[in-house]
Amino acid sequence: MALFSMLGARDPGATPLPRLFARGGLALVIGAYTIYTLGPFLWLASMSVRTTGEISLDHYAWPSPFHWEQFRIAWVDSNFATYFWNSTLVVVGAVAVVTLVGAAAAHALARYRFKGNRLIYAVLFSSIIFPPQITLISLYQILVDYNLYNSLLGLTLVYISLQLPLTVYLLEGFFARIPQDLFDAAKMDGYGDIEIFRRIVLPIGMPAIATTLILNFIQLWNEFLFAVVLITDPDKRTLPIGIRAFMGDHFQDIGMIAAGVMISVVPVILAYIFFSEKLIRGMTAGAVK
Amino acid sequence: MTSTTALPDDIKSPGSVADPRRTSWPVLVVFLVPALAIYVGLTAYPAFRTIYDSFFTIEGLDATFVGLDNYRALMSDETFWVAVRNTFVWSFIAPILDVSTGLLLALALYAGVPFARFLRVAWFTPVLLSYVVVAILWMWIYNYDWGILNELLRVVGLGALAQSWLGDPNLALGALIVTHAWKWAGFNMVVCLAAIHSLPREVLEAADLDNCGWGAKLRHVIVPMLRPTLLNLYILAFIGKMKIFDLVWIMTGGGPLWATETVSTYVYKRAFNWNTFDLGYPSAIATVWFGVVCAAVIILNRVLASKDRLEY
Repeated sequence: MALFSMLGARDPGATPLPRLFARGGLALVIGAYTIYTLGPFLWLASMSVRTTGEISLDHYAWPSPFHWEQFRIAWVDSNFATYFWNSTLVVVGAVAVVTLVGAAAAHALARYRFKGNRLIYAVLFSSIIFPPQITLISLYQILVDYNLYNSLLGLTLVYISLQLPLTVYLLEGFFARIPQDLFDAAKMDGYGDIEIFRRIVLPIGMPAIATTLILNFIQLWNEFLFAVVLITDPDKRTLPIGIRAFMGDHFQDIGMIAAGVMISVVPVILAYIFFSEKLIRGMTAGAVK
Repeated sequence: MTSTTALPDDIKSPGSVADPRRTSWPVLVVFLVPALAIYVGLTAYPAFRTIYDSFFTIEGLDATFVGLDNYRALMSDETFWVAVRNTFVWSFIAPILDVSTGLLLALALYAGVPFARFLRVAWFTPVLLSYVVVAILWMWIYNYDWGILNELLRVVGLGALAQSWLGDPNLALGALIVTHAWKWAGFNMVVCLAAIHSLPREVLEAADLDNCGWGAKLRHVIVPMLRPTLLNLYILAFIGKMKIFDLVWIMTGGGPLWATETVSTYVYKRAFNWNTFDLGYPSAIATVWFGVVCAAVIILNRVLASKDRLEY
């Protein structure tokens, strides 16, 4: 309860507490929590530009000098370049396909009335709660059957199916809010159904589509379980399983692990810096009421 | 879950001949079939196949029908029950930690602290990091010799409390729960913040006029009005934790002494890691767990949502 009364410090209607103390207390809590969330990440960043030798002398020292070559070594000698491009290929491919396919389905479900509309929506959406094991074991067998096991194409297909429910769910919600008048007018101008989708829904829905794109990108970029089951070839590893494998082999090489982790985090952080509002909105879209 | 999202103009639009809300079947097929094909081929079929497989012993290409044997073995599999217990502890208790932290952080921002925009972005950052990254970071934080947790304890003179956080069966699960909460608190925070901002101003202002302190305002106004959001968050966190795999697998691998074994890690071990060469038994675990998760979500939805909705 103490914290709640501190929160009253800036509220004119609240009982006048010793304001300076209250405000100081709130600032302290907020500062401490900020260090708690950002601190570990900054620590990681500092270790990524130090050699393991330097780190083992003092794990918390400021990097001096900055060993930027750590990144070159990780990129070239430790195979992180391969992992990075594998991840890029799989994730970009899967995100592009799932967004297009999901947008088409979302549009049909949001716009047209037909028998079974809500049933199809419910079926597509309900798989969002499936625990991954229910498909994992069989997907492994299926991909082996079709010679897609241990291939980036197979992993891409699986990733498309993983993100489909969320994509349809988010886009259906947005598309349903596009005013019907626009569609009526387009029909009167002689637009066909496909044209309406391409020239009205996609442009108008672009903010929502962008949100979905970023969200799917980050979730797949970070995906671990399916990658670790479906990929065994070291040359086909994606970043998460590549880092994990590297750590398994070089448990003590903290500086190099940190550099590899930073390589995997940079795209996500960049996406976050440019699109933080969109991203936060996308992630909260489903949860409020 | 579905009826509430029904299209609002459904009722209004007249059923005229050129109803723009209707279209021909070929158009629907073009729009829907790709998504449905992906769903059927890569979600529904594998799910049914796993359930089907659970009645067999599958070694390589040989499948032997064993009826309910896998399920019988499962009932007396102690490791499985330990995994279930751990996963339940995690799923039911940890969401309370996530959601309450998120609510407190959101209230701090709502109370109007300086740099609120920066803080919101900063607190949300861990949500974006992959489990692999979070796991590696926290393995270092928990490191016995130089991890920051033990270092801090030593600095303040409590060096005796320094622990091997992930190596002690009594502490490992708690350590993982803290790590998981670290990752997800920011998500709960932004959702709570959005919900608080969508509350009607008059009600909060009326509370102010009544000279309602923050404690009372929180208990009698904000929390009751946020109830639907908080319950939603709880259910979301619950589902996430029923599936938890990555963090456990990388940080402890289910150890020490099964202390952090979850259902997901156990399925993975039995299917791909122990070289038991049988995919039937893990399929049975996955099937049981699938049923448990679906049932739990339905029950939670019923129990938590049926309570009278607050109208405002």
